[in-house]
Amino acid sequence: MAVSGFEGFEKRLELHFFGDDFQLGLRKIDFESIQLVLEQVQCTVVSAVGNAYFDAYVLSESSLFVYPTKIIIKTCGTTQLLKSIRPLIFYSRLIGLTLCSCRYTRGTFIFPKSQPFPHTSFKDEVTYLEDTIPSNLCFRKASIMPSMSSSHSWHVFTATIDHHDQDNELFTMEVCMTDLDPILARKFFRRPDDGKTGHSAGKEMTELTGINDINADALVCDFAFDPCGYSMNGMDGDWYSTIHVTPEDGFSYASFECVGSVNANNIGHVLRKVVQIFRPGTMSVSTTCSGYSNEMWKQMATAVEPLGFKCRSCAMDQFPAAATVVFQTFTPRRKST
Amino acid sequence: MAEEGVVIGCHSVDEWKDQLKKAEDSNKLVVVDFTASWCGPCRFIAPIVAEFAKKFTNVAFLKVDVDELKTVAEEWGIEAMPTFLFIKQGKLVDKVVGAKKDELQSTITKHVAAAA
Repeated sequence: MAVSGFEGFEKRLELHFFGDDFQLGLRKIDFESIQLVLEQVQCTVVSAVGNAYFDAYVLSESSLFVYPTKIIIKTCGTTQLLKSIRPLIFYSRLIGLTLCSCRYTRGTFIFPKSQPFPHTSFKDEVTYLEDTIPSNLCFRKASIMPSMSSSHSWHVFTATIDHHDQDNELFTMEVCMTDLDPILARKFFRRPDDGKTGHSAGKEMTELTGINDINADALVCDFAFDPCGYSMNGMDGDWYSTIHVTPEDGFSYASFECVGSVNANNIGHVLRKVVQIFRPGTMSVSTTCSGYSNEMWKQMATAVEPLGFKCRSCAMDQFPAAATVVFQTFTPRRKST
Repeated sequence: MAEEGVVIGCHSVDEWKDQLKKAEDSNKLVVVDFTASWCGPCRFIAPIVAEFAKKFTNVAFLKVDVDELKTVAEEWGIEAMPTFLFIKQGKLVDKVVGAKKDELQSTITKHVAAAA
C-alpha cells in the first residue's frame, strides 16, 4: 500500500425533505445556489444531465443527484462533504421544504490522516452531524459495522423524524472495491495525446470496460480524468447508478452504487458484472432498505460465488425509523501472488 | 434584428420550422438546445451556450423548451436534458446529450471545420 495517494473512498450523504411541492421540489433550487453548496464541499460540476425524474451531476470529486424530495451527494478525496448540510437546509427552506431525514455513510479511509476536520474521525463526524442536524430529527443512531478486517468497516449515521414517509420498495446498494486487478485498472488511464475531450474518452472507457452492459437501458453520463480516473452517472427512469474509479496501483479503488426495487431480481446480475469489470482484491457491499426488513443481502453471496468470491463477513444493524443496513465483505477464494 | 451571435428561442412550431428553413437556405449548421425550465443541468450550461453563440457566428443557435414545444421534442426523441442536436440541411448530423462543455465545443468545431 502506498504511503499517500488519492483517497478513493467516498463520503455519502442522503437528505430527505418534505413540503408542499412534490413535483419539482429541490429541483427548483437555482443552479447558482447548488454551485455555492459545492464550493463549500470543494468540488465542481464536470458534466450534468436531467430527465423527468431527477438531475444528475458528475463532479470533480464524485456525484450529486437532485430529486424533488431527496438529495444524494457522494464525494471522495479530501472534500468536506458535511459542510453541504447547512447551506442545503437554508436553500431548501427558501422554497418551503423541510429536512426530515439524513443518512451519512462511508467505508474506511485508506489515508485517514489526510482527511480534514470533521472527517478526522467518525467521532468528529458524528459530533458535527449532531450539532448541525435540526433537533426535530430526534431518532438518531451512529454505528460502525465491522468486517473481518479493520481496513473495511462501514460507518453509518442516521437522523430522522418519526412517521417519515419512505419508499419501502426501494433499496440502495453501495459497493466499495480495493486492490483492483491491475490489468483491468489500466483501462481507466487515458492514452497520452489522444486528442479527445474528457467526455468522449469517458465514453470510450464505458464501452471498452463493459460498464455500458451493466444496465443497457440506462443513459450514461461519463467522464475520464487526466491522466487517469473515471466517473459515471447512470439514469434509468427514476433510478440512478454511479461508478467512480481511482485506478492507480498502490491505492486503487472503485465504487459502484445504485438504487433499485426490492421486487426486481436482477441485482445479482448487476453485482456479477461489476465484479467482472474490476476483479477487486477486497469488496464490501452495503445494502440499505427502509423499514425493518432487508432481504436483498441474501442475493449477494450467491451472485458472486460463481466468480470465485467468498463472503467473509456479514453484519446487520437497524436504524430507528430509518433503515436496516447489511454490510458484507468478499474476497477471492484464493488470492493470486 | 440581430440574429447572429445570440441563441434564438423558438416558442411555436411555426417559429421552429421557420428558423430551420432559414438555416437550410443559407447552408448553416444549426445547433438546437432542448431544455426544460425545471432541469438544473440546463441552467448550468445555458451561459456557456450563449458564449458559443457569440463565438461561432456562422452557426445558428436555437433553443427549444420541451414543455412549450412538446411535439417537436417528441419528434426528435428527446428524453434527457439538455440535448443538443446538430442539424445540417434539415438532417441530423450529430448529438450531444448532457451538459458537457468540452464535448459541445469540440462537436461544434468539428462540424464547422467540415463545412469549410
